[in-house]
Amino acid sequence: MNTLIAPWIILFTPLAAAAVILFVGRHSKPLSAGLAIGSAAVGCLLSWWLFLQPDPEEVLRFPWIAIGDSWLQMNLSIPIGVTVDHLSKLMLVVVTTIATLVFTYSIGYMKTEEGYWRYFAGLSLFLFSMLGIVLADNFVMMFIFWELVGLSSYILIGHYFRKDSAADACKQAFIVNRVGDFGFLLGILFLWAATGTLMFGDLTSGKGIALFAANPIYLTVACLLIFCGTVGKSAQMPLHVWLPNSMEGPTPVSSLLHAATMVAAGVYLLARIFPILEAAPHALDVIAWIGGITCFAAALMATQQNDIKRILAYSTISQLGYMVLGMASASSADVSMFHLFTHAFFKCLLFLCAGSVIVGMHHEQDIWKMGALKNKMPVTFLIMCIGGLALSGCPFFSGYYSKDLIIAWAVVKYPLLGWLSVATAGLTAFYTVRLLTVVFLGKPRGDQAKHAVESPLVMLVPLACLALPSFIAGYPFIEKLFFHVEEPTAVPHLLHPVLLFLFAVGVVSAFLLYRNAEKDPIFIPLFANRLYIDNLYDWLVKNIQGRGAAVLSWADRWIVDLFIVQIPSKIVWGSGFVLRFFQIGNIQAYAFFFGLGVIGLVHFLIFR
Amino acid sequence: MTPSFPIEFCVLFLGVVLLLADAFFPDMDKRKLAHIALVWLGGFLVATFFLRPALLWASPAGFYLADPLGIFFKQFALVATMLTLVLAIEYAPVVERAIPGSKPGAGLGEFFILPVFTCAGLMWMASAADFIMIFCALELVTISFYIQVAYLRKCPASLEAGTKFLILGALSTGFLVYGITWIYGLSGQTGLSAIAGAFAGIPAIPQSSQTALLFGLGLVLVALGFKVAAAPFQFWVPDVYHGAPTPVTAFLSVGSKAAGFVVLMRVLGPFLTVPEIETRVITVLQVLAGITLIYGNLAAMPQTNLKRLLGYSSIAHAGYLLMGVASVGSPLAGRAIVFYLVGYLLMTFLAFLILIPVAKAAGGDDIAHFNGLGRRSPGLALAMLLAMLSLAGLPFTVGFLGKFFIFEAAMQEQQYFLVAIGVVTVACGFYYYLKVVRAMYWQPVPVDAAPVEFSPLGRFAAAFLAALILIVGIFPKPILDILP
Repeated sequence: MNTLIAPWIILFTPLAAAAVILFVGRHSKPLSAGLAIGSAAVGCLLSWWLFLQPDPEEVLRFPWIAIGDSWLQMNLSIPIGVTVDHLSKLMLVVVTTIATLVFTYSIGYMKTEEGYWRYFAGLSLFLFSMLGIVLADNFVMMFIFWELVGLSSYILIGHYFRKDSAADACKQAFIVNRVGDFGFLLGILFLWAATGTLMFGDLTSGKGIALFAANPIYLTVACLLIFCGTVGKSAQMPLHVWLPNSMEGPTPVSSLLHAATMVAAGVYLLARIFPILEAAPHALDVIAWIGGITCFAAALMATQQNDIKRILAYSTISQLGYMVLGMASASSADVSMFHLFTHAFFKCLLFLCAGSVIVGMHHEQDIWKMGALKNKMPVTFLIMCIGGLALSGCPFFSGYYSKDLIIAWAVVKYPLLGWLSVATAGLTAFYTVRLLTVVFLGKPRGDQAKHAVESPLVMLVPLACLALPSFIAGYPFIEKLFFHVEEPTAVPHLLHPVLLFLFAVGVVSAFLLYRNAEKDPIFIPLFANRLYIDNLYDWLVKNIQGRGAAVLSWADRWIVDLFIVQIPSKIVWGSGFVLRFFQIGNIQAYAFFFGLGVIGLVHFLIFR
Repeated sequence: MTPSFPIEFCVLFLGVVLLLADAFFPDMDKRKLAHIALVWLGGFLVATFFLRPALLWASPAGFYLADPLGIFFKQFALVATMLTLVLAIEYAPVVERAIPGSKPGAGLGEFFILPVFTCAGLMWMASAADFIMIFCALELVTISFYIQVAYLRKCPASLEAGTKFLILGALSTGFLVYGITWIYGLSGQTGLSAIAGAFAGIPAIPQSSQTALLFGLGLVLVALGFKVAAAPFQFWVPDVYHGAPTPVTAFLSVGSKAAGFVVLMRVLGPFLTVPEIETRVITVLQVLAGITLIYGNLAAMPQTNLKRLLGYSSIAHAGYLLMGVASVGSPLAGRAIVFYLVGYLLMTFLAFLILIPVAKAAGGDDIAHFNGLGRRSPGLALAMLLAMLSLAGLPFTVGFLGKFFIFEAAMQEQQYFLVAIGVVTVACGFYYYLKVVRAMYWQPVPVDAAPVEFSPLGRFAAAFLAALILIVGIFPKPILDILP
């Protein structure tokens, strides 16, 4: 094995698995699952191996599109190649490790579900697309895989496509992402127009950035357009609405795509272009504000949700907000990548635990129908507590280290947003403990809760495997191994005590409030209704877009269709009909026409 | 590497041997002849890749030119002939029915052998660099086509088509010879490079000679215009295409047209070196291209018979190709024409290949006979869909890139008006090609529809052509790199 070929094997094994499953998977369930897990495991082993190698001097790269034209005075060359640097290797490890565990877990979760092979083919396709984003060495290639990820997400969210809500959710996820991707594509074109290259290596080098320095406004616009891609894929406000609805998919999908890896692609994109962003301070301000507001607002919404997966979905949005804020405020991309790393483990874990609860509850997701599950599902309870504590920033759990680091940087650079994110930390503890208390403590609130059973081993083993990194992934010795982060200077002394205090307040208040609650003791319609943003979009689509479409449809039918289509088409068709009369079938006439043609041609050639 | 000139003789020899075999073994299954011919032509095709570009006999005024263009069109002719034979095997039952004979299969032998002779002629045309050579090769091709078009003796449509083709073809040949004599009279040469040399020696051609030269060239253009089906010399096309046996129609529309364009490009070469003549010739080519585009596309719209429709479509494609010829100033033009012809071969043969079994099953070759094919034979319908989309010029098919390169060459030569006509007529093309698609997918299956039978060889050829349409449509570089 060598470092030239390894990335390509990692990339294409899942695609091969997807193709085989697509063609023969319907005949054998073990074969579908085995191929998918095998391909992920191969990727996982190779990724770890690659991670331990030094960065390779050269990579394999194939020319794909090369357009050079002196007439248009442009030059475009796009290879198919891979980037193998610290960032991509780290991401490879995270994605393939978590994918392997989630694939394995899926055997248990999907056992009785329809479309088994379709599900595993979709997962493998997703893994291929995600690895493509990670490995891409230019914007065009990344965009292609970006869209492929969107496609596989669409397929997987819509797995239960017979259910209307799932069909609507996958459509919404795809369309909302298209909005962001449109900006992303424009941003790519902007960058290309300015520099003539789309290679990450060229753009982030000193030379690439120097090209921009002359025109800071242009660079700011380009960066913000590219950030649109992040807003869509990483579910930042105002395009966050699709992520909670995407919970219609099977829970392992929510865990892998919509918590750990795919939604982190937006953050990964920011890390990829971090050197460019640093040259555009105004763009960074906007990014910071969007990240900070998303982080706070999503946490508010999470406090009033009742669906176990939706609570986690809003928490994901909130945590992604932290990462985006971290990108804008920290001195290096590694700070946010650190949180991405720990978050991937504990959020994946939380979702898989939620999946375990859902399976135990026979596919009931309303937390107010659960209760006292700690006796029925002790392993799940224990492991979910680890995940919950990591999420809420309990000291000595992984989330504590990475989140506090981001908050520290944010407080230094953007004090207002920083303190907002401090408040968010308290909210996080509150809604996490609310979730755990209502689900596992108290009294059973329904028959299903009374008869819940612990999940099979094939689901519990991946949980245990994830529990360990969720616990220790933040410790300094691991941080040193994977990252090069630095603490900000001049952090207010009060920060850490305040964080600890808020954590304690969140935990205690949630515990006391919900310990014996039969229904939610507090009801805040604004948060329960997700700040009415979804309603606003509904209204906009129905009234503005719907009416606009009706007008355009009328114009299409009566103006475009009649005057621009029907009338000219009738004229053209009629002239064709007339031309047919030349074709009278009489050979003397043909010879005569031929002669006329000769005379005409000679006349035209000589006497004109 | 071997010199290239024996290859045509090999093809000719193959034809003679097959004729003898046909005569001496009257009881054999005549399809065997076609299979033998296929194998040998395939062998020759492989051999062409080892040919050495060479200028033979009496260079530099040689009359046989084996440059990359020539060698490529030899390969082109071989592939077209092989595909014609595949079509002919598919079509054999119709021929058997239309030809009276004492025993089954009588008269089938020549139907398979004549295309081999045509092939030899096409290959010589590809290399012809002298008017005498051009004339001989052209006549070999044309005369063998006269026989093939009129082959179905019992079928009045075929006989009528043959007669029309013979008389109008003879007329155009007359113009060709007359044109050649004028050019010879002025330059004293028949070799194309010698003619170019004759003009190069004179600083300025006197007005009277210039007129005479243009007159001669004009007559040659008339004859070549007839060959490639350019308006206003296209009147024979719909009737002949409609009446001729389907494999012959396909061969005629691809082989004859391609050879015509190669000769056209070669003949124009020496004349375009003279600036005064060049502008006039380019203008005439533009006009021809414009008329051809408009006529072919507009007249195709009301057609209901698929063979006739493809006949008009052949005129329309000649228009796009002429657009490329009119842009010869651009370095892209030659490659664009070659690419277009390759794409034209793929999609035209695919369309005719699907037409034969469908027409056999339905009893006619109207578009209405394709009704509901999408449900009757999805595979055939899919192949036909691909052929039609490519003919119309949808992206990711070879037809799109062909038009794209031609238009780009024309844009480089600033022929905006011609490009505008081209773009509008492409839209017309979508209308009439998609009529077939509509019939296949949106019309109900007729109640009396017979099952469509298709031989394995035909299936293989169809799949091969369909795959190439997509592959070349996505990855055009290998074809573009054929010409330097």
